[in-house]
Amino acid sequence: MPRGAKIALGLLVLGLIVGLISFRSIQRRVKRLAESQSADEKARHEVLAQPITTASDVTQTARIFWAAGSDRIAPVEVQLPLSANPVERSRQILHELTANPPTPGQRTVPADTIVLGFYILPDGTAIADFSDTLSSETPSGILSEEMAVNSIARTLESNVAGLRRLKILIHGQEVDTLAGNVDLTGFFDLSSAPLPAPQAAVQTTPAAKSTH
Amino acid sequence: MIDPAHGGTDSGAHGDTSIEKDVVMQIARSVRGALERQGFRVVLTRNDDSNPFYDDRAGIANVYRDAVFVSLHASSTGATGTVRAYYMQFAAPIVATPVPPSSAPNGVSAKPAPAIALASWQDAQRPYVAASHRLADQLQGEFVQAFSGSPPYSAGVPVRELRSVIVPAVAVEVSSVSATPDQLAALGEPLGNAIGRAVAAFRQGGGAR
Repeated sequence: MPRGAKIALGLLVLGLIVGLISFRSIQRRVKRLAESQSADEKARHEVLAQPITTASDVTQTARIFWAAGSDRIAPVEVQLPLSANPVERSRQILHELTANPPTPGQRTVPADTIVLGFYILPDGTAIADFSDTLSSETPSGILSEEMAVNSIARTLESNVAGLRRLKILIHGQEVDTLAGNVDLTGFFDLSSAPLPAPQAAVQTTPAAKSTH
Repeated sequence: MIDPAHGGTDSGAHGDTSIEKDVVMQIARSVRGALERQGFRVVLTRNDDSNPFYDDRAGIANVYRDAVFVSLHASSTGATGTVRAYYMQFAAPIVATPVPPSSAPNGVSAKPAPAIALASWQDAQRPYVAASHRLADQLQGEFVQAFSGSPPYSAGVPVRELRSVIVPAVAVEVSSVSATPDQLAALGEPLGNAIGRAVAAFRQGGGAR
């Protein structure tokens, strides 16, 4: 074999060995990075998705709408400590919906979904801000997206008084669709029970009667 | 107007061996053939792997004022071989409480604003919702007979493609994208026949009026 060919072959083998070592090193780094991201996400979920407890919590019967078969949702009654504050109560209810379906087959909302924020405007508009998971992990399709949104809307409507409509945000932003089909740019109608009458109005009744 | 949903970089639902954008394209071509044999003129919003934006699909449909718009989808879930029809559902507007004249500044009465003639692109479908609902019911009546296990009623859902279409508009979703290619291919012809019968009945019943 000519000397030049031997040198070329030697360089090729050397290059191959260096390449293999580099490849294994890159593989290890990618794996470490993925593990670190996964640990970060897990830690974030544990911090943000803590069950919410408030001073006014009273254990009550809540109606949570989970899947009942492949194409419909139905209420399931569960005993939950619920706050008197409607915002905290809404967060507690949504936490139950996402975290504790009775069986995996009854899940309507992806497991890692977190409620990042919840607000109620004076006109009864509820604004629910969910993590990206709601959008990225809900299976694409009108049926699956409709069941996800409907389970959120019906669960809020059945357990929190005074809500008239719902706006869904994803990570603080308005998005076009949930997973390619159901429009999230508008509102979803809610028909909650009316808010209880203010205490002051009740106290004026006897005085009003006494004037007749 | 037949609208095969998704396309291009938007694959839609994923099955074991197939993706929604390809499945609905294949079904749309079968549906077009079946409808043309029944005497309908059919236009597709896409006939390749492009992905017109939702508003562009509506724009294509809105050129044909006597058309009906059928957006075809394949779901991730649902019993295999079942088919569902959907019509657009808008949220009810929140009505502001009128200000009594005595409490208005300087005693000026707060009159409601006069009606505006311009229609909003965002909810252009709103005047057609009742007609779309009737068309969806006609379709679901056909589907329940042709595809065993399909639900008896259509459903109102805010499907993004439908909101700016100014003709009767529905979405039709077959279950599911996880079915075998043979099962999905077999859906096209009966689906086209069912859509043809429903559209004919809808037109006989007054159409968009």
